[in-house]
Amino acid sequence: MNILNNFEYFKPKTKSEALELVKNLGDKAKILAGGTDLIIMMKEKMIKPEAIIDIGDIDELKGIECKEGCGAEIKACTTIEYIESSSELAKKYPALTFAASQLGSKQVRVMATIGGNSCHSSPAAETPTPLSALGAKVVISSLEGDRELPIEGFIHGNRKNDLKPGEILSKFILPEPVKNSACRYGNIGLRNAMEIDAVNMAVNIELDEDKATIKNVKLVMGSVAIKPLVSEKVPTILNGRKLNDELVTKVGEAAQSEAKPISDVRASAEYRTDVIGALARRLVKESYEAAREA
Amino acid sequence: MGKMYEVSNKYNNYKEYTREFTEVGRNIPRLDGAAKVTGKQQYTDDLVLPRMVYGKILRSPYAHANIKSIDYSEALRLDGVLGVITGEDCPIPYGIVPHNCNETALAVGKVRNWGESVAAVAAIDEVTAEKALELIKVEYEVLEAIVDPREALKRDDLRIHEDHPNNIAYEGVQVYGDPDKALKESSYVLEQEYYSSYVNHAFLEPQSAIADFDKNTGKLHLYATCQVPHYTHQQLSKVLEMPMNKIRITVPLLGGGFGGKSVASQADFCSSILSKKIGRPVKITYERSDVFATSNGRHPCYMKFKMGFDKDGKITAVDFNNIMDGGAYSGWGIVVLFYTASMVHIPYKVPNVRFDGKRIYTNKPTCGAQRGLGGVQPRFAMEQMLDEAAAHFGMSPYEIRMLNAVESGYTAKSMMYVPHSEYKKCLEKVVEMSDYKEKHGKLPYGKGIGLSGGYYISGTSYTLYLSYKPHTVATIKIDEENGVTLFCGATDIGQGVDTVMAQMTAETLGVKTEDIHVVTRDTELSTFDLGTFASRLTFATGWAIRQAADKVNAELFPVAASMISCRGDEVAVKDGMFYSIYEKKKKHVPWADVVTMYIESNGPLSCTGQFTPPRRKGIQQGGNIGHSPTFGFSAQIAEVDVDLETGKVNVTKITEAGDCGQPINPMSCDGQVHGSIQMGLGQALYEEMKVAADGRMLNPSFHDYKLPTISDMPKIEASIVESYDPSAPYGGKESGEGPIQPTIPAIFNAVYDAIGVRFTEMPLTPEKVLNAIKTNKVGK
Amino acid sequence: MEKQIIKLDINNQIHEVAVTPMDLLVDVIRKQIGLTGTKKGCGQGDCGACTVIIDGKAQLGCLKLAIACEGKKITTIEGIANPETGELHPLQQSFLDHGAVQCGFCTPGMILSTKALLDSNPNPTENEIKHALEGNTCRCTGYILILEAIESYVKAQSEGEV
Repeated sequence: MNILNNFEYFKPKTKSEALELVKNLGDKAKILAGGTDLIIMMKEKMIKPEAIIDIGDIDELKGIECKEGCGAEIKACTTIEYIESSSELAKKYPALTFAASQLGSKQVRVMATIGGNSCHSSPAAETPTPLSALGAKVVISSLEGDRELPIEGFIHGNRKNDLKPGEILSKFILPEPVKNSACRYGNIGLRNAMEIDAVNMAVNIELDEDKATIKNVKLVMGSVAIKPLVSEKVPTILNGRKLNDELVTKVGEAAQSEAKPISDVRASAEYRTDVIGALARRLVKESYEAAREA
Repeated sequence: MGKMYEVSNKYNNYKEYTREFTEVGRNIPRLDGAAKVTGKQQYTDDLVLPRMVYGKILRSPYAHANIKSIDYSEALRLDGVLGVITGEDCPIPYGIVPHNCNETALAVGKVRNWGESVAAVAAIDEVTAEKALELIKVEYEVLEAIVDPREALKRDDLRIHEDHPNNIAYEGVQVYGDPDKALKESSYVLEQEYYSSYVNHAFLEPQSAIADFDKNTGKLHLYATCQVPHYTHQQLSKVLEMPMNKIRITVPLLGGGFGGKSVASQADFCSSILSKKIGRPVKITYERSDVFATSNGRHPCYMKFKMGFDKDGKITAVDFNNIMDGGAYSGWGIVVLFYTASMVHIPYKVPNVRFDGKRIYTNKPTCGAQRGLGGVQPRFAMEQMLDEAAAHFGMSPYEIRMLNAVESGYTAKSMMYVPHSEYKKCLEKVVEMSDYKEKHGKLPYGKGIGLSGGYYISGTSYTLYLSYKPHTVATIKIDEENGVTLFCGATDIGQGVDTVMAQMTAETLGVKTEDIHVVTRDTELSTFDLGTFASRLTFATGWAIRQAADKVNAELFPVAASMISCRGDEVAVKDGMFYSIYEKKKKHVPWADVVTMYIESNGPLSCTGQFTPPRRKGIQQGGNIGHSPTFGFSAQIAEVDVDLETGKVNVTKITEAGDCGQPINPMSCDGQVHGSIQMGLGQALYEEMKVAADGRMLNPSFHDYKLPTISDMPKIEASIVESYDPSAPYGGKESGEGPIQPTIPAIFNAVYDAIGVRFTEMPLTPEKVLNAIKTNKVGK
Repeated sequence: MEKQIIKLDINNQIHEVAVTPMDLLVDVIRKQIGLTGTKKGCGQGDCGACTVIIDGKAQLGCLKLAIACEGKKITTIEGIANPETGELHPLQQSFLDHGAVQCGFCTPGMILSTKALLDSNPNPTENEIKHALEGNTCRCTGYILILEAIESYVKAQSEGEV
């Protein structure tokens, strides 16, 4: 353990070089960005790639573009720490920057990338949940060109995603938050830090002009299914209504009924179900209040 | 010499009376501190010897299996592999307690826990060694595994060790007084079951060993991460069939131990055997999973307690039945079993006691010694029961503790003698510091405050094998070239004993701590010491050092007296100066000048002191275990904030008051207290080694074995009560294991205060708390 | 696998080392370069004992390929004290003075994480300090005196004492 297998190391300087390599090496290669998941999997001998394509230092794949009124584009190799500390992002997407701050340790956040967090496709991942709630799309690049799909469509399940041979995830596109809306993120773990979440969740609420009636809501749960789970029931409960205690309770119950958590070494399914309710109630209230003030 | 020695004794009386310490009691940054903050400090894995190669250990994926065959021919053929060993190379069993040792460096015929060592290889580098492990073919016949000791007790058909019916490693009964009668006559009897959990020390530095066998001299030099080099020395001698004087153990500084490194590691044996075999130095360093696989952590206990009280709330009797999960092998087991028995007798007066305990084998990594061993488990139960009893009597938890607390001079029913206790002061102080009386029972639902007390031994009166030799020897060498050199085999595992020893030496010699050279942790260079366990070092080395230093003074004082023209019994020494206590300004001479004068006229100067704790009669089986020359006490108060929707317990503050006697280095004492609280908090809330039904460990990594991070720590307000133990060499006693005793029950008592639910099992996961909150609501 | 010669800039000194791609930075630093102040505690990025500063930020040597670090500026614990005089960095001194050091095994990583934080944020709040150190496990001190050491240093620095 803790020793890597032999592999060939490639460090393309540009995105097109990377795409070329990804295409040529196909299944033999794994893409290395931050390495905080990949290297551990290699140490545990879960994978033994013949080649590593290190895209972590490609400038084209890094950075945030966040223009007034135009949403944001986050390149895949942008580190979690960079996202956490981006004041521009924090203004528009506090749920995302907060989720970033809750990922691992400082060192891990410095190394890990937002693309890696999605491509690793762990059900407990922090950032896919708020990305989904915010309506983010991923852009997948190959030598043939780019294609776009919603993040929910990108992650298929535990360590499974939509990437095909020859492709890399190159960026995320976040729509501009609509007027009178707010999104909030929360997570539950045993400790106050360094947790692999038992449950995480993001709720995005948009209000009518009256700043009281809910026009739209998206509640996304992480770590409760093989991939981020978008609640279908919560919008039917909340849309067109003003939030009250009864609705809050119903939201909690709805989220609980939809989640399909498992029992593992970190928490039991029963407990996960319990706290899904608690988290849903809290986040719906929080995001509702924030939307009223937006 | 005799006459001179009298002089010295007078000096000590004088000094004791005033207790005007200059070096003792000083906050001295540790002497190795600069090396540690700059990365210069070398730990075992940092060392590289010429021609050194690397070893690795193959571990069993099964918890219980017969080994049908091991084929390592392919591994041996791999380029760069220098040697492979299996159980056949080391069939002699070892164990820290010699009369019931049953461990082998590598499994012989059978594995009894997940991760048990099966074979070891030496190769030119770690990569090759690891590849070689993959090429070793082991054929297992997998057996049913038992992981619950209560189950194992019933399964005589499935013996983990053939010679242990019903998987009972050992059992013992102790009866003091007439507990049955006392319980019958009690005005209130509480009966409750408790479970304490399976945890690991989680020291940061994994075990490492470098063995260097010299074929020409037949000598083995082992550099290893051991807390108790002496016992490792003995066991190596046994397994390797080499006399002890052909084996030298050097312990580079340790990166934490907490009891985990108090047993010889498989790395120690395997590196030695491999080095002997291939004639080159071999280094084996554990990975974190190896650390978990060889745990030696705290014994989980299934405890049934009965506690009786008279009409005033005084304890009348304790009846304690303990089923202790020992894991696969002996280790420290028998010692821990009887420690749990003895820990019932203090810090409260218990006139009648029954203990009925069994240590049971299960297919789990062996349990052993962990900070506060044997105390944490029964304390967890009894401190909660005291709170329950207090409620019954309409007393405050503070009052019932004060009512029952032991005082200086108390002799327990088990014959344990407490020469000195400021336990009541600890209770008073901690209650005052935290506003406990104003808060307890009065905080809003979800918030709570809890009190607990505790104590620990400050040394142990017995060796693990029959022996009458001193437990500690200290030699002080004085010369012009090196100044003061202290030789003592005590092992600094991070607690800072090197510095404390230097302070004590400097105190009596009247020089500066920073000028003392300390030669420790080497069986060839240092003088004998039993090792770092049972919080024995400050007390034991203190006496040996003081005796040696007194002898040095007895030699130097007359010389100083004649140099400054005064009487011998008027001489004192401080800050590197001998002087007349009556005419300090006029009559003084530098310490170094006296040394020069002494050596030029008398020749070399070195003196040796020793310490052996007093023995008391342990009147019953195992009853000697727990006897200690003195005891440290502490009381803690935990404040919690329970998240009623998620069940998460946030410990917001811990207040502690400790009686460690005269703190030798107060800053170090604070560090011990804080660290104890962190370890207790982790066990209370989330730390737990999780084992599947088939015996596989589910979380052998820091990823899933959760330690408190910096963001999980409560505010800690720690104080040391005014205390001086006259039986201790410099008035000081332990502070490294006592402070973990109250932490867990204080948190549990606080949670009770917060939500009105008594929890009897560790850890207090949000899941358990939330379920209890839900049940309570339904109940209401 | 063939070894390749790479250049690593560690503590302002260029080291030429022969590595294979599988070599981790922590091992190269410890074994080839001999800077053993960088420790290995868990091997999986959880304990932070292997923390080094790379391009100004605290990172984990046990999850970093050495070969990926060419052209980056690496600082290890050996690069914190004054290189000419050997005098301790006041942060190191503060750790010493406050009893923030016990067994010392976490200390290099702890100091480097702190250093990286303070280099970008010289006046952090208590929560900011904690947030930066969550990935550095200490089992001896309970972190309390570490926090005190850092806060005291920060205070002294902001008052212009160091």
